Parts: sequence; structure tokens; C-alpha cells
Amino acid sequence: MSPTTLPSAVVTPEQIETGNSLWRDAWSRLRKNHLAVCGGATLLVLALLCAFGPFFTQSYQDQNLDLGAAGPSAAHWLGTDTLGRDLFSRILFGGRISIMVGLVATFVALAIGVTYGAVAGFFGGKIDAVMMRIVDIMYALPFTIFVILLMVFFGRNIFLLFFAIGAVEWLTMARIVRGQIISIKKMEYIEAARALGLGKRRIIFRHMIPNILGPIIVYTTLTIPAVMLLEAFLSFLGLGVQPPMSSWGVLIKDGAEKMEEFWWLLVFPGGVFSLTLFSLNFLGDGLRDALDVRSSKD
Amino acid sequence: MLRFTFRRLLQIIPVLWIIITATFFMIRFVPGGPFTAEKAVTPEILRNLEAHYGLNKPLYQQYFDYMGSLLRGDLGPSFKYPNRTVNEIIGDKLPTSLELGFISLAVALTIGITLGTLAAVKRNGWLDYICSSTAMIGICVPTFVLGPLLVLTFAIRFQWLNASGWYGPSDRILPCLTLGCVYAAYIARLTRGGMLEVLNQDYIRTARAKGASETRVVFKHALRGGLLPVVSFLGPGIAGILTGSFVIETIFQIPGLGREFVNSAFNRDYTLVLGTVILYASLIVILNLVVDVVQIWLNPKLKFE
Repeated sequence: MSPTTLPSAVVTPEQIETGNSLWRDAWSRLRKNHLAVCGGATLLVLALLCAFGPFFTQSYQDQNLDLGAAGPSAAHWLGTDTLGRDLFSRILFGGRISIMVGLVATFVALAIGVTYGAVAGFFGGKIDAVMMRIVDIMYALPFTIFVILLMVFFGRNIFLLFFAIGAVEWLTMARIVRGQIISIKKMEYIEAARALGLGKRRIIFRHMIPNILGPIIVYTTLTIPAVMLLEAFLSFLGLGVQPPMSSWGVLIKDGAEKMEEFWWLLVFPGGVFSLTLFSLNFLGDGLRDALDVRSSKD
Repeated sequence: MLRFTFRRLLQIIPVLWIIITATFFMIRFVPGGPFTAEKAVTPEILRNLEAHYGLNKPLYQQYFDYMGSLLRGDLGPSFKYPNRTVNEIIGDKLPTSLELGFISLAVALTIGITLGTLAAVKRNGWLDYICSSTAMIGICVPTFVLGPLLVLTFAIRFQWLNASGWYGPSDRILPCLTLGCVYAAYIARLTRGGMLEVLNQDYIRTARAKGASETRVVFKHALRGGLLPVVSFLGPGIAGILTGSFVIETIFQIPGLGREFVNSAFNRDYTLVLGTVILYASLIVILNLVVDVVQIWLNPKLKFE
């Protein structure tokens, strides 16, 4: 409706009560959580550095065999590796891959988990029982072992890596989404949508999922570190990202092999990786407290 | 209770069957066999090798042969270690991995429950912050960073311990600490959460009102209920410790089954891969069952869910 239909004399701008939307509420709660804000800021800085930093640093491939592995210095802030490559730019380049794996594989997990959980929760009854029983059983399986086998047998392809990791990490998301869907299934607005004759798919994706975005966002933030950890774990075993590409997991693996003489090769990549996981976890916890009041811890 | 246990036991059979079948066929459809990597194998020798291991039979025949011998508890011969059976190799390597796993679990439970309980009892005090942030560090510093860092500090710099190997009792310290710490962190968080919930319950107030000492309230009354989330974490936790041992055994060069498994996958030693997967899967599935039963025993309310 247009404001002109209101008697303008009654309401002055100062009197208008601006309702706080869920998102604005959540934002103000999040801002008060210093750890989460720090985490978010750190992530932003790291992401920007990885995205744009390589344009300004030396190429990560430039070798300088005469220099070899040198400790941190003014020319090479974080030192160089045994081939004389600048560690700082290698970390930035590795970060691109690690972050990309984190995002893409999480997206795969998100897509599978949300759809699966929403379908199970929406249809309920026998379908739900069977679908969730399958999830229960899969929870008990040694999935990491299968990811290892997949990577060994079918070439260490980065797309397979996305898919394999995503295929492992969707289970908890499915459980959470199912629980949420069940809790809103009986709400009036869903009934209204049904009464309007909307299709099931439209009800699920247009009316239900937008209303449970809070928990989904929270859990997505917490899935990213799990995914990055799995990628680094595989890369550490030599099964993840392959040279000439490198990820933080690959750098840590290299560093661990050479740490006896060149400690910085382990400490800096390991530090950056841990810092990222820290920030993601703090941000995730903060978002949980901000968005999902019910399940917030104590 | 018995019926529940029995029903879950019956469920294990199809689950294991699916795992075995899936792994079996997945391995067979992989490009490249166990003998392709060997240099200069004439077609004749290859044929002989394949005949020796029964690889020239039709696939379904191989599958039924394998399942048949599996039922007799025979995991077949290894393809890469001549004259050794998979049973022998597993029997040789498994005890080491089990020892690593059990000590790590003990470390995780001891550190985790202590830190978590302390944090919950001194809620929002400085002790809580120290315990909670220690736990966060444990969660965010992965084993493959923590392990090498510990080696760097205690083995290379101070030279108190060996950097690798699995000989004396002191060689157990670093690997088990590395593997245990991560799970200690999760357990500490879960204990803290569980204890906080329990400490607010009426029966705790009753115990306090009756004049029970704080130690008695915490250890006798609260801990049993507060540890429920920890028990349910043990299932995934044990699976994590098992797979975590792959990395730990690589870092510390421990002659265990985890390292053997990764190597056998690289070598395409079909039978050894299959045997190890079956063993790990059975271990995980059975331990999960035990965890479920213990959970219901501790909290009968769960039975109705």
C-alpha cells in the first residue's frame, strides 16, 4: 500500500516502529560477539589475500636454486622452500585451492543434505523412517576409508575430490534439516500454501527452506572447516591435491618432511591453516548463538 | 534391552554385506590391476599370475569364491607380499594399531573429561575460559600439524624422545598424545555442555540440599548424566581414531595396520585392501552397536525414541 493512504497527520517518521527482522536481530547479536567478529574479519583478510595477493607477490613457481631453503627475511617474509620458492606466495596460492575445495565440497554436501533432509521430513511416515535409517547406518560407516580408496583408484582428480568429500559430509546436515522441517510442517502458513494448491516441490523449496535458513547457514559455516580438514588430511597422505597445484595440506606435508632443518616450512603453513579453522569455528559458533537461539550452547 | 541388542545385531549383517560387496566390485572396476605396475611382465607370466590368484575366472565366480572363503574366516593371499596371507599380515600389524588406538582413547577420555568437568563446575570463571580455549585449540590444530610440531619440540629441539619408531614405552608418548588431544578437545566440549545441563537439574539441588559435598555432587550425581553426550560421541570418535591412525602411523613411522592399508591401496593389493576395509568396517559397526547399547543402559528414556 502506498503511504498516501495513511492519514499523514497521525504518524510522524519518529513514531514509526521499525520492526527488527530476524536477520537484523541476529546481526546485532553477532556484532556483540567479539570472537566471532574477529574470526569473520580474519577470514575476510585471508580470503582477500589469497584472492588478490598473488598478483602482487612473486610467482609461487619461481625457483631460485642458488638460494635454496632460506629462513624468513625481508625479501621472503616467510622464507623459501628447498627449491628457493617464496613460501608466502605458495601459502597464498595453496589457500586458493584449500578455500575453493572448502566452498565447493561444502556446497555439494549442502545440496545433498538439504534436499535429503527436507524430503524425509516433509513426507514423514515410512519414507522418513527408511531414509533416516539409511543415514543412521551411513553414520556408522568408515567413510574416510572409502574416500581414500576412491582417490587412490580413480586418479587424484580435483573434481572427484569435491564430490567425494561432499558425499561424506552431508549426513549431519540432512538430520538437522529434517528436524527443522518437521517442526515447521504443521505451521499455518504451510497449510495455507497447501490450500492454495501449490506443488510439493514448491512448498519445500519456496516456503519451508527459506524459513529454516538460520540453522542451515550455521551448520554450513561449521561444515567448511570439517571439509577443509578432510582435504588437508587426504593431501597429507598424498591423496588430495596433486602437484603442480598445491593446497595447505600439501604444504604441511612438505613441511613435515623437511622440518628437521627448515622449521618454517611446517610452522607457517600449519599456522595459517589452524588460524583459518579457528576463525571458521568461532564464526560458526557465533552465528549459532546469533541465529539459532534454541540450540545455542548454555 | 535384549531384544534391542538382538535386532541391532541382525542389522549388522546386511550392512557388512553391502560394504564388502561394494568394495569388492569397486576394486575390480578400477583401471589397472595389481600386476600392471610390475616392470617387464610378459603376457605369459601375467596369465600365470592371474591364474594363480584366480583372477582369470569370471567376476561373479571370483566374488562367490571370495565370499565363501570369507565365511571360513580366510581373507586370501596377499598380491604384493608373496607367500603371505592377508590374515597373517593383519595379525602382525593390528595389535600395534589397537595399542595406539586404545592408549589414545584413554588419553582423550582422561584429558577431555577432566577439562570439561572443571570448565562446567567453574562456569564462566577463568578456569572455564582456559579449559574451553584449550579445547578450541585442540579442535583447530589438526593431528598432522600437531604431530610434527610435537616432534619438532620434544624430539628434535630437546631430544627427550624419539622422533619416530615404536619400540620402548617412551615411543608411545608422542603418537598417543597427538591422536588423543584432538578427541580430548571434542570430549571436553561435550562434557562441559552435558555437565552444565545436568548441574541445573532438580536432583542436583536436592543432593546439595541434603548436604552432599560438592565433590560428591559432581562425581557421584552429576557425572553419570553429564557424560551421556560423551558416550554418544564415542561411536564417531572411535571411527575417527581409527582413520586418524593412518596419518599418525605415517608421521611416526609406526608399523601398524593403518599405514599398511594406505600402502596396500597404493599398491592395488586387492585382497589386502579388501581385508582391511572389512576389518575396519566390522570394528566400527560393532563398536557403534556397543555404544548404542551402553547409551540406552545409561539413559533408558532413549528407548522410546
